[in-house]
Amino acid sequence: MSENIYLKRLFQAYYKEQNSKIPIVHLHDKREFGFIPWEKPIMIRHIGFENSDEFFNYLIKNAPRHVYSSGSLYSQPGNSNINNKGYLGCDFIIDIDVDHFDTPCKVDHDFWYCKECGKEGKGLPPKKCPKCKKLKFTHISWICEKCLNIAKEEIIKLINNFLIPDFGYREKNFSIAFSGHRGYHLKVEDDRMRQLSSENRREIVDYLTGHNLSLEILGLREYSQNIYGLLKENVGWEKKIIFKLEDMLTNSTPLEIEHLLIKFGLNKNIIKSFIHSKDDFLETISKKERNLWIIPNFTLTTWKKLLSGIVKEIGAEIDKPVSVDIHRLIRYPGTLHGKTGFKVQELTLKELYTFNPLNQSDNLLDPVVFKSKNTQKLEIIEKKIPLINIKEDNFGPYIQGERIEVPHHIAVLFLCKGVAKTI
Amino acid sequence: MSIRHELVQHYPWLPSLENLYPDIASKNPNEFISDIFSNNPLEIQERILAFFKASFNNLEQIADYKIDEINIHVYLIIKILLYLLDDKSISNRIANLYSKVTYSELIKEDDAYLYDICKDLNLDILYYQIPVKYGIIITKDQQEDLYSNFRIHYTDYLRLAVNLRDEFRKLVNNPLSEGYVFIQKRNLSRLLQEFVREKFFLKDGDDKSSIEALKKNLLKIKDFSELHERILANWELKKEDFEYSIEFKSLDGSDISTNFPPCIKEILSKIQEGQNLIHNERLFIVWFLIAVNYQVDTIINLFSSMPDFNREKTAYQVNYAKKKMYTPYKCSTLKSFNLCMAKQYKDKLCLEGFLSRKLNEQKFITHPLFYVKFNQYQNFKKSNSGKPPEK
Repeated sequence: MSENIYLKRLFQAYYKEQNSKIPIVHLHDKREFGFIPWEKPIMIRHIGFENSDEFFNYLIKNAPRHVYSSGSLYSQPGNSNINNKGYLGCDFIIDIDVDHFDTPCKVDHDFWYCKECGKEGKGLPPKKCPKCKKLKFTHISWICEKCLNIAKEEIIKLINNFLIPDFGYREKNFSIAFSGHRGYHLKVEDDRMRQLSSENRREIVDYLTGHNLSLEILGLREYSQNIYGLLKENVGWEKKIIFKLEDMLTNSTPLEIEHLLIKFGLNKNIIKSFIHSKDDFLETISKKERNLWIIPNFTLTTWKKLLSGIVKEIGAEIDKPVSVDIHRLIRYPGTLHGKTGFKVQELTLKELYTFNPLNQSDNLLDPVVFKSKNTQKLEIIEKKIPLINIKEDNFGPYIQGERIEVPHHIAVLFLCKGVAKTI
Repeated sequence: MSIRHELVQHYPWLPSLENLYPDIASKNPNEFISDIFSNNPLEIQERILAFFKASFNNLEQIADYKIDEINIHVYLIIKILLYLLDDKSISNRIANLYSKVTYSELIKEDDAYLYDICKDLNLDILYYQIPVKYGIIITKDQQEDLYSNFRIHYTDYLRLAVNLRDEFRKLVNNPLSEGYVFIQKRNLSRLLQEFVREKFFLKDGDDKSSIEALKKNLLKIKDFSELHERILANWELKKEDFEYSIEFKSLDGSDISTNFPPCIKEILSKIQEGQNLIHNERLFIVWFLIAVNYQVDTIINLFSSMPDFNREKTAYQVNYAKKKMYTPYKCSTLKSFNLCMAKQYKDKLCLEGFLSRKLNEQKFITHPLFYVKFNQYQNFKKSNSGKPPEK
C-alpha cells in the first residue's frame, strides 16, 4: 500500500471521528473552499458549501491532504469565474511562518545540498553553490520548539503591540490558529476592515512592519549641526521607537547591544561611541520634551541606520503578500496539515501564551492528533533527518537507508514530510 | 442626524441633499434641466460658465464664489454637463477646481460644522470641542505642541487617502491609536477635497449609450444647448494649450514608448487627461524619461497639460534631475507607493515574468528600466530573426 493511500485513510478516520469538534468558521456559506488531494499536487478551488454538514461530508468522503477556506466572502463562492463570484469583502489575514525569516536554530535543523555537485551545508541555502557555483539546491527545512516559539512571539507582538493598542481591536475581533506546521495564522474579522482594498491593506502591512516609515517625517532632523531626535510623547511609531531604545539600553548588556548594532550595519568605532554614551543617551530619551541627541561621531546618517535597525526589530515578521491579497485561501481550523499530520489548532490569546505545539499538555489543544505508544517501522529515504523533540522524546538524527521503529505520530510526521517509507 | 440647509447649499455633494431638497434630488436629469432652463436662468448659466472658464485657465479659485440655493443647481448642472461632454480632460479640470474651492471653504468652516459634514458622509470621526494633544515638535528652542479636534477611524482614513500617495500621509507615518488617526483640520479638509474630486468622474459601470440618449434630449433645450456650445467653444480655444503632441523620440531618435511598462503608461495617461500627479509620480516619470534618454524639452512639454503647469519651475526641476541622474524607482518601491499598475493593466510580463534561459527558471521584472530593455531585446530578436543586438 502506498504511503499516500495509508495517510489518506488515517485522515479519513480522523474526519469521521472528530468532525463534530471541527469549528465552523464565521459566515461559512459565503466562503470559497480549496483542497489539495493526496492523488496529485493540484489545488481544487472554487468550492462552496451551503452548510457545515456538506463540508464535513466532503472531508469524510475525500479526506484531502490540505484543506483551505477563503478570507474573502462571496455571494457565489462556488463560481469559478472571479468576476461572477460576487465579492463581498475580505478578512485581514496575517501569516507568520518561520520559513520566511531567519531563526538562529535553522543552522541546527535545516540543511541543503547542491543538486549539481552534492555539496552540503547547514541552515538556509546560499545564493550560489560554494563548490560548483550552480544555483539549484534541495533545502530540507525542519521544525523545533525554538523556531515555533519565535513565530509565537511574533504573533503575540503583533497582537499586543499593534492590533490592540494601535488598531483598537479586541480579542473578539480576531481568531488565532497554529498552522499545523511552521507558524501561526491570525484573521481579523471586522466589517469595516473587510471593505478595504489591496492598496489599503498594503498600508496596514507597512504599519505592522515599519516598512516605508520615514524617520524625517516622524521628527528626526539636523538643525545647526545638531541632531533633534524622536520624542516619547508622540503617538504612533515615534513612541514605539523610543520605548524600544529605552528597553535596549536598560535591559541589554553592552555585549548584547554591540551584537545588535553590528546587525544594524554600524561600524566598530560608532558602536564603541554609542556604548560609551549610552547612559547619557538613555537619560535624554527618558525625559519628556528632550530630543537633542548628542553622541560623538554620530551623524544624521548614523542615526538613521541605528533607528532603521530598531524599526526592523519592532516590526512584525509577517508574510506581506498574504495580507495584501484579497483572494487568498488559508488553512481551515481543525483540519489536518498534509505535511505533518498535525491539526490546525485554533487558540484564544490566553491559550496562545502557554501553547507549545510539539509538546502540548492540554489534550484539547494538542495538534499532534495521531499520538500513540504503538510503534511503526520505517526506512529513511531522505539524505538525513535532524533531531526532533516531540512529546518530550527525542527522535533522530537519522540518515538515508536507516531502518527505525518510532511511535505512530512520529511515523505519520515522517511519512507526511516524505522523508521515510513504511517497511 | 439633521444637518443645516446652509451646509447643503455650501456643499451640495452631501448625502443630505436628498433629504433636505427632495424636490431637486428626486428629479431625473431631463426634468431637472427642463425646469431650470425654462426660466432663463442667467445667473446659473454665468456661474457655470465661470467654473468652466476658470478651470480651462488653470485657476485654482472662483472669484466671487457664492453660497446659496443656486449653488446646488450649479453643482448638479456641472455634473450633468460633464456627463454629456464625456471628456476626461475637462472632467479632471473641473474636478480639480471644484475640489480646491471646496477645500478653501472647508478650511474656513467651523469645527463643529466640519464634524457634521463628516458625519453626513458616514465617516467614523471623533470630535473634541477642546482639542487633544497628541505630540510635540521640538527644534532648538522652538516647541510646537500638536493638537487636534478630530480623530478619524483608520479604515475611513485609508479609503479617503488612497489616491493621495504623499509619504507623510502614509498610515505608518501618522499618529494612530485605538483605531483612530489624529488628524488636523487642514489634513481632514484635504481628504474631503479628494472625496469631492472623485465625485466628478464617470464610474466604470456607467453606460456610454445612455450618455448619447440623454444628450439628444437635453440639447433640445435651447438655453442649455447654448450653454453647452459656449463651454465647448471655450474648450476649443484653450485645449491646444494643453494638448501635447510628443513624438516620443529619445536623443538617438528612436521611439521606444511602446515598450514602456504599465506604471509609466498610467502616469502618461494621467498627464494626457490633465490629472494632477502626486510628488512621487512626478519624480518617477522624470527620472524614468531621463534614464531612457529623452530630451529635456520633450519632458518639459509633456507636463504642459497639467493643471498646475509652470514652465520655469518644471524646467528647473527637469534640468536638476538630468544633472543628478537619479535612478527611477524599482518595482518593489513602486508597489509600496501604490504606483505599480501590473494588475490593472493585466500586463503579462509584469505579472508572470519571463523564462531565463541562462538559469532555466521563471524570473520576475524587478525594475521598469529592465522592462523596457527586455521588450527592446524581444522586438529586436523578432525583427532580426534571433540575432541579439551588439553590446
